Amino acid sequence: MEQHSDTFLDNASEALKNTGQAERRDKIALFASQIRTAAIDSFEGFDDLRHHVKKIRQHSLDNLDYYLSQFEKEAVHNGNQVHFARDSEEFNSLVLDICQQHDARRIAKGKSIVTEETGLNSFLQSAGLNVMETDLGEYIIQQAGETPSHIVSPALHKSANEIRELFQQKHDLGHRELQKTSDLVAEARNVLREHFLQAEVGVIGANALIAENGYSMLVTNEGNGDLCANLPKVLIICTTIDRVLPRAEDATAMSRLLARSATGQPHSCYTSFYSGPRREGEIDGPLETHFVLLDNERSNILSSDYREILECIRCGACLNHCPIYTSVGGHAYGSAYSGPIGSVLTPLLTSLEQSHLLPNACTSCGRCAEVCPANIPLPDLLRDLRHEEGIKKLSAPRWRYGLKLHSWLARHPSIYQTLTATSIRILHRLGRKRGGFSRLPFTSGWTSQRDFPAPQENTFMQLYKAKMKQNNER
Amino acid sequence: MSGSARSEIFSRLREASRGETEENIQRERLSLGSAPSPMPPTPENCQAFILNVLNNQGSVDCVSNRSEAVKAIAHYLYTHFHNYRLVAGNDPRLAAMPWRDAGVLPRFGSLEAGEPVALSFARLGVVETGAVVTWTSKANPAANNFLPEHHIVLVDKNDLVPTMEQAWERINHALETTGRPRGINFIAGPSSTADIEGELVYGAHGPHRWHVVLLGDIPVDAQNIARAAPKDQS
Repeated sequence: MEQHSDTFLDNASEALKNTGQAERRDKIALFASQIRTAAIDSFEGFDDLRHHVKKIRQHSLDNLDYYLSQFEKEAVHNGNQVHFARDSEEFNSLVLDICQQHDARRIAKGKSIVTEETGLNSFLQSAGLNVMETDLGEYIIQQAGETPSHIVSPALHKSANEIRELFQQKHDLGHRELQKTSDLVAEARNVLREHFLQAEVGVIGANALIAENGYSMLVTNEGNGDLCANLPKVLIICTTIDRVLPRAEDATAMSRLLARSATGQPHSCYTSFYSGPRREGEIDGPLETHFVLLDNERSNILSSDYREILECIRCGACLNHCPIYTSVGGHAYGSAYSGPIGSVLTPLLTSLEQSHLLPNACTSCGRCAEVCPANIPLPDLLRDLRHEEGIKKLSAPRWRYGLKLHSWLARHPSIYQTLTATSIRILHRLGRKRGGFSRLPFTSGWTSQRDFPAPQENTFMQLYKAKMKQNNER
Repeated sequence: MSGSARSEIFSRLREASRGETEENIQRERLSLGSAPSPMPPTPENCQAFILNVLNNQGSVDCVSNRSEAVKAIAHYLYTHFHNYRLVAGNDPRLAAMPWRDAGVLPRFGSLEAGEPVALSFARLGVVETGAVVTWTSKANPAANNFLPEHHIVLVDKNDLVPTMEQAWERINHALETTGRPRGINFIAGPSSTADIEGELVYGAHGPHRWHVVLLGDIPVDAQNIARAAPKDQS
């Protein structure tokens, strides 16, 4: 997709003005974290599972050349064609070539963030193909001409009313009003069923690739991916090279983490493994199947200090628990990947120059690391990216000098303590009567939303020293 | 294009790799062992499987033999459609069912437009997730799993396995002996979506309802759980 992470601050300000969406995000943040906690509390071994899967992922990445070539061999043995793409452009061209070889006009597409990353839809559409997203959330935003705002629930930002209005504009509804949510779902089902039955090519993503047998794993609740995989004559499975796991049981172990962390379910409705075309005597299924595997910087990330980011299982838990994401929503990040994972991944997939604001979209609260089922130290990786940002002098000079000053002060505790004690005393005296300030220099970000409370008279260090002195005198 | 992309990508991966021998890699993977799995809601397999199927918004019938299975399916069909028609794959196990015992009229093949119910015979049932496992073949067209309004699945009690790891043990054995199917499907409930304001709706693309018929010598407690559950879940 077209990236616009360089305007993150403006995007965020714009997002905060839409109070309807902000309220929905608040609700989802509360709800998502509760259902995740409930799902994990009911599984005693969750932490052990987390460690086990982490070890498997590390082992797979340590030996990725071996496992990827094993996967390729097995997938070819199963009758697939396996293609590799260095970047988005190559990836999109490969998919288009396959479609054109079959004179395909209609494409039924399951959810795949990788294809959002490469901008596959617009590429295929500009070549005259009719590409239809079939995941309900993806279908809604495609109809609205928008991009996903969440990696698991792409239409999270839209209300039922907005979706109703959208269907009224785009579908021939006659007198039907689509009052209930189930009416909206049924409407999309009918439109998409037609498309499924007519599409010549199905495109799906994969949650994992299995080296030992050459299958891909796809986890969904709607079953749309399975219709894409089984009904059209040609199937293209799109994913990235880092998704390979040694064994099938490793993939299902990962799915235990995924469902609980993403939607609070103990498992999703459909966990499907695909590899190869229709076998002898079968009456349905694709006649030709392809895997298109994208690198796009991942092989470079593998040899960098950010390699752990490749262990992400795309559950969205870090988004649901991030105070920045839940305040400004996914669109503000201006990338296919939003939230903490997006703030690490986007600069690595593109460049820090284009997206250095994203690692700053962090309060260092650490919730993302707490909930990450892959145990990725997201706050550390974000900090490292901010450090690089400083070295490359990408942030505003005012900000850099401010940080330098702070760093110098922190290394000179006596001056730091004298300065803070003086300013705290002044603020205490000035604010004593009202108990707070509605305006203060350099703090408009705080005071535009709430008062800044007047501090107590003494700093922590003053109280601590007094206490120690008292103890010594006793 | 793909050839040079492949060699370039693999050469970068080799640089980042530890460069271990195949033997060492296999040995290291073996040393990592298997993943912990969640405790079942109750120790007895049938009971736990039924509870999980119900949690998945499915409904369950317990039957002790094939004649009872046909009667339970007939009852289900009549309750929902006032007829006895369904579509079933060309599975010898389904063909051999005593359909006449209850007047059920199966059409053997792949689901077509206007046909609302399909029946599959599961290869396995996974207690941990309350899922049934099928794989694609001439005996089991994929359309019958994903296109009907109602999906009925027969599961033999002897095909229940406690965890997904044990399911893979059985599947791997089948892949080695009878070849690899193009699709292996773990199905745990009717198709659902929460993409509109987080509200859960069934029948997103595939079946609205999902009905499991558990066949075999089922303990009475397990039968009681199935009988007491509401029949109109999804």
